[in-house]
Amino acid sequence: MRRLLTFLIFLVAIGVYFPLCQGMWKSREQSRANTPTGYMIPSKFSRILALGNQGLLSDFLFLKIATHVGTKVGMEQPFGEGDWRFVASGLNVVTDLDPYFVDPYFLAEGLLAWDAGQPELANQLLAKGTNYRRNDWRLPFFIGFNNFYFLKDYETASGFIMAASQLPGSPDYLKTLGARLAYYGGKSKTALLFLQEMLAETDDPLLRQRLAKRLRALELAVMIEEAIGKFRARENRPPKSMDELLSSGYLHALPLDPYGGDWIMSKDGRVFSSSRFADAPPSK
Amino acid sequence: MKSVLALATITFKEGIRNRSLFGIALLSLFLFGLNISVAGFFMRDIGKVTVDMNLSALTLAGLLLVFFVGINLIAKDIDRKTIHLVLSKPISRAQYICGKYLGIQFFVTISLLLLLLLSCLTVGLLFKLYPAYFIGFSWLIFFEACLFVLIKFWVLTAVVVFFSSVTTSSLITLIFSLGSYIAGVTIEEVVFYLKTELAAQEKIISESLRTFIDVVSYVLPNFSVFDFTLEAAHGLVVTSDRLLLSLGYAIVYIVIMLSAAAYIFSRREFH
Repeated sequence: MRRLLTFLIFLVAIGVYFPLCQGMWKSREQSRANTPTGYMIPSKFSRILALGNQGLLSDFLFLKIATHVGTKVGMEQPFGEGDWRFVASGLNVVTDLDPYFVDPYFLAEGLLAWDAGQPELANQLLAKGTNYRRNDWRLPFFIGFNNFYFLKDYETASGFIMAASQLPGSPDYLKTLGARLAYYGGKSKTALLFLQEMLAETDDPLLRQRLAKRLRALELAVMIEEAIGKFRARENRPPKSMDELLSSGYLHALPLDPYGGDWIMSKDGRVFSSSRFADAPPSK
Repeated sequence: MKSVLALATITFKEGIRNRSLFGIALLSLFLFGLNISVAGFFMRDIGKVTVDMNLSALTLAGLLLVFFVGINLIAKDIDRKTIHLVLSKPISRAQYICGKYLGIQFFVTISLLLLLLLSCLTVGLLFKLYPAYFIGFSWLIFFEACLFVLIKFWVLTAVVVFFSSVTTSSLITLIFSLGSYIAGVTIEEVVFYLKTELAAQEKIISESLRTFIDVVSYVLPNFSVFDFTLEAAHGLVVTSDRLLLSLGYAIVYIVIMLSAAAYIFSRREFH
């Protein structure tokens, strides 16, 4: 009798436990989504709290940041200022705990420079990395890219690209790219070369998708620029408008900007898009 | 010497018979398995994550071995009064302390070496799965790091033996040793923080506190000396003088702890 009673109690408890458990996970999911982003303990404390496992803590915190970003992207929630602060301070702590860890630098480049629109912040982190990963050409390459692409500081960019080209394993064309940058600054074709390399260096599917889209847009801009170049060479003047370029036969049809903008031609023959090659203005 | 070795062998056998050993082995197996499944979550530095997780798993297993099995191996004799039987034999108290220490050290070493074998299988498997992400990895540096995890526990065992000779209860020994371990792994951060300019601006940190930390940094073992995880994780070469200094520090610290333990233990009275 007593055994039966114990068994019954056990069954009831199990019966209550499962729905309760489901409710608990659902409530956790909601409360996690509603609570403002977590606080990142500064590295001077977390180094001590890690009790000698700084490496492991850096792995864990990195996963936490990646999960936070992944959840937001998955639920299509917009990123707020607090999110970016969390990501930036988190990546700072992770690289304080293990400054040789390469993943946070890639994440900083992918998120802070591209999505948060804070290339300066990404550059700060990457600069920290270059002090430790001295033979890694990708970190100065990223700093150079950010200076070129986002900050439009071609001289600094050229310096970093030249520095990256001196490091072992760097692709051969970096040397010419550095020199090109110094001379031509922001030509679309330079950006194209840069983006191709960024795409080759990126594993993150989300960033790859974005880079590929931008690459496509840039390829089209380069195509139009080349047609303008041909027009100039033959006619000794730039075309007055896109229509003139089309009607003269140098370009068969105006390609569609993947970002949905209209092509604009500057006086020096550069081609831009009214979309500025962005889906939406970056949320800061 | 013969009696010391005999006592060490008995202590080792007693340790190996302990059932909690299976639990610790299972936990380590779980951590190694976790490593294999988690490695794929990372983008590039899978080698680093693998080394971090393996060395931390070995450290956790070592801590459990020393704190849950090692402490009992010494305390049992006093708790069960079998110490009278042992000390009635022609064996000095200093020899008793040495024998017990060697026995626990041998037990921890053998157990950790077995776990290291499993750890190597995990690392080898992940190395095979993701060869492109193990670029800086070097087995030599990994083994160096593992060796110093082991040496760290030799030092911790000496601390445990010291506190066992002072206190009368295994719980107090556990609390003191655990406290020493936690302080020992963090002391370096505190010492270097106090040297920074940031700390110089803090008014709360008085001169006496600095002196206290200074004294503590000599009394407690600095366990960060034995931590080569960063080097193993990124394949950074460890200079031989750093290795020798760490080894020398460990040996001298162990000798000091054991001789102090032997002195206190020889003056102790058992009722």
